Amino acid sequence: MIIRFLQCHREASVALIILALFAGLGLVDPTYLSVDTFLLVYGNSLILFVVAVGATMVMATHGLDVSIGSIMGLAAAIAGILMNHHYGVAVSIGAALLAGLACGLFNGVLVALLRVSAIVATLGTLGLYRGFVHLLTGGSWIEGLPEGFKALTHERYFGLSSFAWAVLVLLIVSHAFLRWTKFGRSMFAVGDNREGARLIGIRVGWVQLVAFALNGVLAAFAGVVFASQIGFIPNTAGTGMEMRAIASSVLGGVSLLGGTGTVLGAALGAFFMTSIDSVLVLLRLEAYWNDIIAGAILLIVLITDGKIRETVDSLLRYQKYRKFLDPESGSASAAGPHAGVPSDAVLTLTSSEVQK
Amino acid sequence: MNALHLLKRWETVLAGLLVAEIALFGSMNPAFFAPSTLLYSTSDFIHIGITALALTLVIITGGIDLSVGSVMGLSAITLGLLWTRGVDIWIASIAALAVGALVGGLNSLAIHISKVNPLVITLGSGFLFGGTALVLSGLAGATGYEGISGFDPAFVGLANIEIVGVPLPLALFLVATIGFMALLHRTRFGRYIYLIGQNPRAAVYSGVPVFRTLTIAYALTGTMAALSGLIMASYFGSARSDFGATALMPAITAVVLGGTSIYGGSGTILGTALAALLVGYLQSGLQMVGVSSHVSSALSGALLVVVVALRSLTEMGHVYYLHRRVLKKVGSKQQ
Repeated sequence: MIIRFLQCHREASVALIILALFAGLGLVDPTYLSVDTFLLVYGNSLILFVVAVGATMVMATHGLDVSIGSIMGLAAAIAGILMNHHYGVAVSIGAALLAGLACGLFNGVLVALLRVSAIVATLGTLGLYRGFVHLLTGGSWIEGLPEGFKALTHERYFGLSSFAWAVLVLLIVSHAFLRWTKFGRSMFAVGDNREGARLIGIRVGWVQLVAFALNGVLAAFAGVVFASQIGFIPNTAGTGMEMRAIASSVLGGVSLLGGTGTVLGAALGAFFMTSIDSVLVLLRLEAYWNDIIAGAILLIVLITDGKIRETVDSLLRYQKYRKFLDPESGSASAAGPHAGVPSDAVLTLTSSEVQK
Repeated sequence: MNALHLLKRWETVLAGLLVAEIALFGSMNPAFFAPSTLLYSTSDFIHIGITALALTLVIITGGIDLSVGSVMGLSAITLGLLWTRGVDIWIASIAALAVGALVGGLNSLAIHISKVNPLVITLGSGFLFGGTALVLSGLAGATGYEGISGFDPAFVGLANIEIVGVPLPLALFLVATIGFMALLHRTRFGRYIYLIGQNPRAAVYSGVPVFRTLTIAYALTGTMAALSGLIMASYFGSARSDFGATALMPAITAVVLGGTSIYGGSGTILGTALAALLVGYLQSGLQMVGVSSHVSSALSGALLVVVVALRSLTEMGHVYYLHRRVLKKVGSKQQ
């Protein structure tokens, strides 16, 4: 029963892991279990939230975008340069988002129209956009950002900064968008079965293009939040972010093969990835333990999830074909899927089934 | 037969591009033509080529290994850790290579057990191995990204040893290229690799030891990544956990630019080797003519985008042309 629930709601397993992590933290020092800690982790995960939402959209259409780190850096650099030339904060952020849109559209054109494999196309643009960053900044850091811009990540309303509220709204809107609108569902349709989606009248190329374009805008937004949070813009802003975004989404149940996943799951995954950071700091462990723990948990979740899915699949297949295998029990097939499955029958099924 | 011709043509194109590139940089800066420059500038990027060779096998099987960058750091740190604990440097090197093979095998095992997409598994294991390297370097006393240095001079000197006039890293790359060419194109194992990439189900039904073949491919990739880590440790004279952090994407670029399909089933070692040299010389050549390394990274990205887009376009054009021809024939018959 629990396994079935976790199978249908992949978000729940991440939520459980997060609870376990915080329970462990609570065991060490109960005073840490407070709203403040939660808000701290939330504030630290803003960037990852935003890029994970974008990664979810792209992955839903069976794409993959490894260039988001470079788009982040490019958007941050553009915003920073404009602000240092005394343009308004809003104008600068708008320009950065437009740059992100352009980058995302370019990725989308490569993937959707020119039919280049998504990972290869974005691998190329990863280098390309990073080069633009260096061209724009001339290889130096951008410093002296206006206070008004940095204040956007300072605590303002009810313990959250302006950007934190914006990200919260973004999470809710994008969750609803992907789950309940026609266009959102068509993204999953394209990812699940491209040809089938085309046949029911979805403009497949357009949907993919929009997914990549939105992803570009979101990556640019993440870059802006990043710049505002740390107050200066290094050349390497956003490097490695693509892997963290993909890892968060995958942890939250978004499939790289397209067609499944929710923004809620991806957000929980992102929250988890960040909370390891923060919890390690609170537990006074060295920061270098972070990646090994994140990697180990990611692998454990993925492997158990794969195993569970395989078992459930073979159980379902057994139910479907049991009357051919075992004529006497054919009449009893109305019983639930877990009812009295002989283990050896399942075993023969799994071994004869070829891995997909 | 047709596909074979196409592949042959692709490697010819790559070789032509490589020659044109060297000629172009040479005409802009004659110093580039000096044999010592051409030979020794490879040391900056040859580790990427060595890893890409083995990665080609994995990508042809339809998989991918995103953990190679982390494995480079892990092997270098393993070497450094053992060296600081007083182990002989050569034994430590062998241990580092063994670690590479082991983590490659672990990747394959995890993929086999979970039946999850290799991209996802190796993404996770990349974090794990990179994290292990960081923790090990932390335990060795080299906090964070600080390196472990002070290796045996004989080991540090390795990167500058010449074998018949060729620096050792490049010689290793050439030997590995020939070795992998023989392995992939001349052995049963190599044919299995292609078959698994073309159609894993058919491979299982025809009795191919899929798991064993994949494990060998991933273990080889891990070993070659570890070797790259050792080469870097020798070249830089120190071992850092973030050695391979920037090597992953160029390695995949070399494989893809070399004509290997990212979906598996086709590709050649020679293509990868040529593409690795092409991208590497682009970087070092641009540096020699005074373009900053940042711009050159943009240019190698642009090169990848243009090349794959052009290939995709020619393929689409080819398909369109074939369709037209068939339709014309059908039309003329009906009339």
